[in-house]
Amino acid sequence: MFDIFFVQQLVNGLSVGFIYALMAIGFTLIFGVLNVVNFAHGEVYMIGSYAGLLAITTMAPPLFVVILVALAAGALAGFSLERIAFRPFRRFRDEASLKSKAIREATLLSSLAISIIVRELAEKIFGSNMQSIPQEYLLLTPIQIGPLSFASGQFLIFGLSIVMLGGLQWLLKHTRVGLEIRAVANNPMGAAYVGINTERTIIATFIIGSTLGAVAGLVVGLYQGAIFPAMGFVPGVKAFVAMVMGGLSSIGGAVVCALILGVAEAVTTSFFAQGWGDLVAYAFLVITLIFFPTGLFGGGRDRV
Amino acid sequence: MTKQCRTLLATICLAMLPFGAYAQNKTIAIGYHAPLSGENAQYGVLFRNSATMAVENFNKSGRLPGVTVQLKFEDSKGDAKEGVNIARKFSDDQSIVAAIGDFSSGVSMAAGQVYAQTKLAQLSQTASHPDFVKISEYQFRNITTQAYEGPLIANWANSNGAKKIAIVAIQNDWGQSVVKYFADAVKANGGEVTETEMFNPGTRDFRSILTKIARSAPDVIYLGSFYEDGSAFLQQKLQLGLKQPVYATSSLYEQKLLDLAGPAANNLYLSTTFLVESPEPHVMAFVKEYETRYGGKPQMFAAQAFDATNIVLNAIVAAGGANATRAKVRDALAATKDFPGVTGVTTFDPKTREPSKVLAKLQIQNGKYVLVK
Repeated sequence: MFDIFFVQQLVNGLSVGFIYALMAIGFTLIFGVLNVVNFAHGEVYMIGSYAGLLAITTMAPPLFVVILVALAAGALAGFSLERIAFRPFRRFRDEASLKSKAIREATLLSSLAISIIVRELAEKIFGSNMQSIPQEYLLLTPIQIGPLSFASGQFLIFGLSIVMLGGLQWLLKHTRVGLEIRAVANNPMGAAYVGINTERTIIATFIIGSTLGAVAGLVVGLYQGAIFPAMGFVPGVKAFVAMVMGGLSSIGGAVVCALILGVAEAVTTSFFAQGWGDLVAYAFLVITLIFFPTGLFGGGRDRV
Repeated sequence: MTKQCRTLLATICLAMLPFGAYAQNKTIAIGYHAPLSGENAQYGVLFRNSATMAVENFNKSGRLPGVTVQLKFEDSKGDAKEGVNIARKFSDDQSIVAAIGDFSSGVSMAAGQVYAQTKLAQLSQTASHPDFVKISEYQFRNITTQAYEGPLIANWANSNGAKKIAIVAIQNDWGQSVVKYFADAVKANGGEVTETEMFNPGTRDFRSILTKIARSAPDVIYLGSFYEDGSAFLQQKLQLGLKQPVYATSSLYEQKLLDLAGPAANNLYLSTTFLVESPEPHVMAFVKEYETRYGGKPQMFAAQAFDATNIVLNAIVAAGGANATRAKVRDALAATKDFPGVTGVTTFDPKTREPSKVLAKLQIQNGKYVLVK
């Protein structure tokens, strides 16, 4: 059983894990700041891939330009999302409202509503089928290293995850915006008292998180050869699971857990059947929550 | 209602009575139900197009002098309850001698329960659930099921020299039937099934399944899925460097597959009942007329509905035309033999009421579907 096919299976699993990780990075960033789940992150992912595809079919630019288009679309989507689904619920500035569960759940539902509306709109405009992608843009070029098969997209996804994770750490630790984001994440009231413009910081967080999500959507869409309106749903759920396993606000933890999920699915497929893959992944979630209620990489229980 | 009103109505009714009795032109009706609204509305529209075309051509042809066949179309909305209501309505309408519909197996079977009691023959152009024709002797279909297609592809692959076959199929009712009938036929031919892999609907990454298949080293792979999953599967197979040829279910016969999968689709073997580029004259005539009437080439489902309507029209002729009764039409349907449709020559088994057809064998070569022997 432990032969070269098993190693190939690990490669497959890691590449799936990195896809979940790409999604989880932006997702966790937004959660860390606002402490609410952004259900529309999967739709930002979808918007990124459609924007990239539109650029490809209309102008056929080089890949890095396509990525820039997806970045721009993601930034715009993040800004609008914050405006429509999140800001209206921050009208109430008193401490009771900030800690209120009802307000938090309202934002949760408003982001869910936006996600459904955006997905349905995409289905109405583009149809619910998978879009045809020009073959030369697919990131499926085989790269054979010894007996192992890789695809060009796997290297890009791997590289992108490293760059995103590293870039985000640098941004958070070494820039003024990063400092503000960490301050707001830590204590929004306190941040406001010391003169940080919390509104602007929250918008910045949404823009950063959504650009990451949009690029992830584009790259994964090109790598899987599948761009369609509901494409963000499955990775969105897995990213959510990875975030919870990783301890909710730890970005690095979410990435590690995303990789664990991907490898668990592939190895399960190898020994049992593909249908058991999800079951094992979710069993990991349950086990983690039982033995580490704050997640594998979560801090203490400092959040309310 | 006032007294005058009632008198007026009675007079009108009386005045109309002799009209029907002395009319030279007798009207026989076919009831057709399919979703014209809701999720599957696009299929209902195709069915109505094809059925209207078939009935109009029939009335023009003068095969039954003095008889006009009328098509009564109802929208079932893809809802089983609606299907039952329409089936009751059609059963009460004495001008209707046979019913066609519905689109999905679920609605067809719900309506079938009514038809079984009211003894009205029902022909579905698309219901492929194994239990549909088992409801009663009044249920027919002109679409082949996996029970027919699976063994055919298995024989084809085996005769091309494949002994060890891996099966990949989607995890649902239909996928289960793909696996069962194909695997049984391979084993009956003395072949070996190396792996059976069911994938969850919504799977986009088939690499772990493909790696598992590579380990079992089959001669060929049999794929039971829809074209979107199929194209992702074929692309990832090419990337992982698996050399085995792929045989697939007829559900992959879609022009869109060629766009999506590109060169990865080359050498795929599959079968179909309806080939839009067929060189046969009656298929060409159908495609051309459909295109001029409705703009756009007919797809497999439109062709299925065209054949279903013509099979019923044939049965009405065989049942005595103007004297056709519901019972006679049912018996004539059951006796359908070698009907030359656009989806192939169709014969109904008089006992099981399952259709048998000649399936066309295709291979994708250089990004095109090509007929092979």
